[in-house]
Amino acid sequence: MTEPDLARLKDVPPPRPEAKRAALAAALAAFDEAKKSGSETKGTGAPVRLRDASSRTEGRKPMRLLHTNRALAASIAALMVGAPTAFMIYRNHAERPAGTFANVPNALNGDRFEAVAPPARLPAPAPVAEAGRQGDVDLAAAPPAKPSVPAHGVTKKAERVANYALPAAAPPLAKAKDARRFEAVGAMAPRLPQDAADMPPPAQQEFRDKFDSKDVNPVKQVAQEPVSTFSIDVDTASYAFARRMINNGRLPPKDSVRVEEFINYFPYNYPQPESAETPFKPTITVTPSPWSAQNKLVHVALQGYALQSAQRPRANLVFLVDVSGSMSSEDKLPLVKNALRMLVDEMKPEDTVALVTYASGSGVALEPTKIADKGKIIAAIDALGAGGSTAGAEGIQDAYRLAEESFDRAAVNRVILATDGDFNVGVTDQGELKGLIERQRDKGIFLSILGVGQGNYNDALMQTLAQNGNGTAAYVDNLNEARKALVEEASSTLFPIARDVKIQVEWNPARVSEYRLIGYETRALRREDFNNDKVDAGDVGSGHRVTAIYEITPAGGKKLVDDLRYGKKAVEAPAGGAGLELGFLKLRYKLPKEDESRLISTPIGDAQAVEKLSAAPEDVRFSIAVAAFGQLLKGAPYLGKYGYDDVAELAKGAKGEDSFGYRAEFVNLARLAKTARP
Amino acid sequence: MASQDTDCDSELARRAAAGDRAAFATLAERHYDRVHALAWRWSGTRAEAEDIAQETMVKMAGAIGSFRGECAFSSWAYRIAYRTAVDHIRARARVAPFPPSQMLELAESADYDSPEDAAMNNDLWRAVRELPEQQRDTVLLVYGEDMSHGEAAAVMGCSEKTVSWRLHEARKRLKIALEAVWEAD
Repeated sequence: MTEPDLARLKDVPPPRPEAKRAALAAALAAFDEAKKSGSETKGTGAPVRLRDASSRTEGRKPMRLLHTNRALAASIAALMVGAPTAFMIYRNHAERPAGTFANVPNALNGDRFEAVAPPARLPAPAPVAEAGRQGDVDLAAAPPAKPSVPAHGVTKKAERVANYALPAAAPPLAKAKDARRFEAVGAMAPRLPQDAADMPPPAQQEFRDKFDSKDVNPVKQVAQEPVSTFSIDVDTASYAFARRMINNGRLPPKDSVRVEEFINYFPYNYPQPESAETPFKPTITVTPSPWSAQNKLVHVALQGYALQSAQRPRANLVFLVDVSGSMSSEDKLPLVKNALRMLVDEMKPEDTVALVTYASGSGVALEPTKIADKGKIIAAIDALGAGGSTAGAEGIQDAYRLAEESFDRAAVNRVILATDGDFNVGVTDQGELKGLIERQRDKGIFLSILGVGQGNYNDALMQTLAQNGNGTAAYVDNLNEARKALVEEASSTLFPIARDVKIQVEWNPARVSEYRLIGYETRALRREDFNNDKVDAGDVGSGHRVTAIYEITPAGGKKLVDDLRYGKKAVEAPAGGAGLELGFLKLRYKLPKEDESRLISTPIGDAQAVEKLSAAPEDVRFSIAVAAFGQLLKGAPYLGKYGYDDVAELAKGAKGEDSFGYRAEFVNLARLAKTARP
Repeated sequence: MASQDTDCDSELARRAAAGDRAAFATLAERHYDRVHALAWRWSGTRAEAEDIAQETMVKMAGAIGSFRGECAFSSWAYRIAYRTAVDHIRARARVAPFPPSQMLELAESADYDSPEDAAMNNDLWRAVRELPEQQRDTVLLVYGEDMSHGEAAAVMGCSEKTVSWRLHEARKRLKIALEAVWEAD
């Protein structure tokens, strides 16, 4: 075995000229600042803004920027709606009498997690350091056990799996706990690979189990469990992630696939509700299942009401903008700036906007200003530049302070963090950051994260942070995504129209023997939670739509699960019309300013059934193709021989108008997935 | 400007400390690339390297006024860059829910920002970044930055002997780690 060639460590790629220019400009500005305020003390004034540094990169590709910018503006808009969704997940757990990180995930996963807590204690780094100090002899005599290294690999793999699943429901807190562990091991003491490996990795193993257990919703027997309850979910990140991987020739990890997010990614033209008072219109379609001859699919489409601009509440927004060196590329800060300009154009005169920047320090670039004073706002946006500043205050506190200054209970109050992944926002301790975000959330100020640039590494971080707070992370990864966000969402989804939206379906055992909900694994609620207004659920923004699909086996059909020999038999069919129904759909929601939920209900019956799948509306067929695709990627065992070709075929025939090509892109993706490797 | 370019660091640093903007500009320009390279070695990604490099330059600007020429300007700049990089990585470890090595693996399984980022995260780089902090720093300073043991000792604030010892330990660890990786393949 030869020595590793350490000379290879010399080679690094050269710097980007833009980054260098930005850094030098920032340095000179800091130099001037330092000179002004005396050579010893650090500058305390407003942050240095470098028009030069940014305008140079900005002017280069105006066309491309324009498109992506509009998209960003749209994403920002989408963020404002999405945030409460993550918020509710968080609050759901916070309600448990936990107090510690380790306890919280219990809420979601039953007892499993309890077992995790003890091994998750800090692996003591001390012994290793000790051993190190004793010198060569000891170590040479007893070299670190070799098998420990592969063991470490397993650990990492397990965690990776766990982490992929994290953007789902419980994870933020599980991660937080993990972070705490690494803070101690990684930052304070030397981190040795053997250290982690010698301590058997039960914690990570458990993490993996935890997510495996959320694998795929199982088939349930109507006789035993006739009621299915879940929270709606309007997130779409899972699809964007899978698309990126498949385009690179790789299949996404199964745990990263959330079928409902795939389905909800696409725009559908479901029938519109009439007013904001009844903000939903459910449309039900019952169709034969394309992958199982005897089964049927029950397609539940919810269309949220789209607010007209005059009905929107006032917005009080504070942008916390990362101006560190890496933001100088043209697809980052210049993009954010253009997006901000566009957003300002969309807002109403009485809305307010403030700007805070952060890099090595932070500063207020614009005090809260009414949109009516547009010139001032635009000038402040123009002046944002990628440049560090030595001004001392802490970015996120500044942002919250400004949001509080112009706080309005009737308004949408939100801090929006725009970054490429540098989260040195002023508070680096995760617990502290979480506490801060939590307190502000309770005051009514929410946090969202807007990601720019590319790279999964940052994406994962942003998701985590946004979920630890109460926001979502929006991410623009290509032009098409951009257009989607802009055209589909920017104008109508600034504001929530309903909170805590829950769905409950009761199946009629006389008509249905088995059912399973496709997707929504991480959104399951207990039956009794449905009528409990204290239990939070997903929120829906103006114009959003949500789709849920059940696969059912009609009574008398061949069942996957045998009847119980000693169980109850011969279900009495309810008398009258109800006996003929397949099931009954109930939908609970709260209007944005109300605490008491309202109910919408509708029977599921033969009136909504179609003879053949081809007779179902285009949107229904397409969403079923997407559901099949998601299940294939997730490795769900219910699709029989149905494969990617069938998915592509079904989707191709249901593309509809597809003005922006998302559906065409999907068809391609289904074909690509065939040859992608795991 | 022409004379600035040819002046030696120490002269420029003296003038910059006295408030000469052009002198500081020349120094910053001259040292940025090395600072950036160092930042990349420690962080492993372009985006982070750029952040660290910029932060270093800004810190240098703030501190140059108190530079008295006790050591070479380059060593002074190095120490700032080194500390900034290490702080940055530590801060990341605090915010990040899982350690950098796993983030890299996570990233690898999807895609990197660029082929460069991928090249900066091969087995060797990864093994080096997984070393205990002090060993990692020593290896990167001596092999990556091509410093003598004495120079590395000065940057890290330890003795030359400690540098040699850490290197010895690090090489052993690296060998074991890399053998395991190769066997696994």
